[in-house]
Amino acid sequence: MIGCYDFCGHYDWTFHWIAEQGGKELLYQYWDEAIRCDSQKHAADLILSKGVAGMEEYWGHTLSEEAPDGGYSAGAVGDRFWLEMTDCPSRGFLLRNGIDFSGDYCDHCIGWGGPLMRDAGFTVNHAHNHGGQCFWEYLPADNIGKSEPAIEASKAELMRRWTEEKLPVDYFEHANDARNKIIK
Amino acid sequence: MSLLPYTDTKPQGAADFYFAINATFRFMLRRFGDAGFTEWLTALGKEYFAPANVLWKNGGLPAVAQYWRDFFAAEPGSDVDVCESGDAVEIHVKKCPAISHLKKSHREIVPEYCRHCAILGKARAESAGLSMQLTGGNGSCFHRYGAAGKFRQNMSDVAEVR
Repeated sequence: MIGCYDFCGHYDWTFHWIAEQGGKELLYQYWDEAIRCDSQKHAADLILSKGVAGMEEYWGHTLSEEAPDGGYSAGAVGDRFWLEMTDCPSRGFLLRNGIDFSGDYCDHCIGWGGPLMRDAGFTVNHAHNHGGQCFWEYLPADNIGKSEPAIEASKAELMRRWTEEKLPVDYFEHANDARNKIIK
Repeated sequence: MSLLPYTDTKPQGAADFYFAINATFRFMLRRFGDAGFTEWLTALGKEYFAPANVLWKNGGLPAVAQYWRDFFAAEPGSDVDVCESGDAVEIHVKKCPAISHLKKSHREIVPEYCRHCAILGKARAESAGLSMQLTGGNGSCFHRYGAAGKFRQNMSDVAEVR
């Protein structure tokens, strides 16, 4: 039986298998069709109907299940939602167990979440350092000119720290797609 | 000591991951058909599960029995008995955690869901020099492990999920 305890391990192996069959394009289609539209339809139901309040509800439930010991901070800031992972339970599972089949595991989050946010009228600022740390800013697509000082300060501090530690950072700016990656 | 070759920081996995497993089965069947579904699960069983298969190969049927006790202890909502006899291990899944959670969550379950246990189990057993058979499904089933050649799988013994 395929279980949920080591889910992140066989999920990562499956990314590798899919990419071998049909390249990265097929992997992007898997994240969109299987994960966004099927697996995560409970997330879509909440976020499409409630916006930022739905994001609070979705991540409130998901993070309490996946990361009961914490390792994150999340919440609404003005008209947007901010999420910072300091100890991602998903990527952390792979790191603790020495698993790396796909080479770019963290991309799956924007792979399904990006298109969902597009449909909900949001765009995404995101970066991950492949070490179990990342940030997410989900902001209204029609209000990208406005910035939230608290979020800008957090982003700047994280990017400064990761740069100082010479961590490889993948960055997405006003993105809704895993294809929009900017490698710093 | 657990015979699971991977460790997590929590005692059990998050049940909502069964949503992604079910969705992945649907994607694989739509994109690759039955043959591709079987090919993916066979490769997964031989490659991803290789560390656990080695434990089975080295530890024999007692290791298989202990593995499944540890496995289901980490799957939320399981109700399972694992029985060892001299030449076989029988796992009676009285309540499948995946089917139970998917049904409780009103998810459209892939009818072929239970076939994955037979395909994956066969690949893993063969890697360890053993054989495996699954009967039942749709929420409760029996998995049997024994020496190579002892058990054969008839896929018509695997129930569709309804």
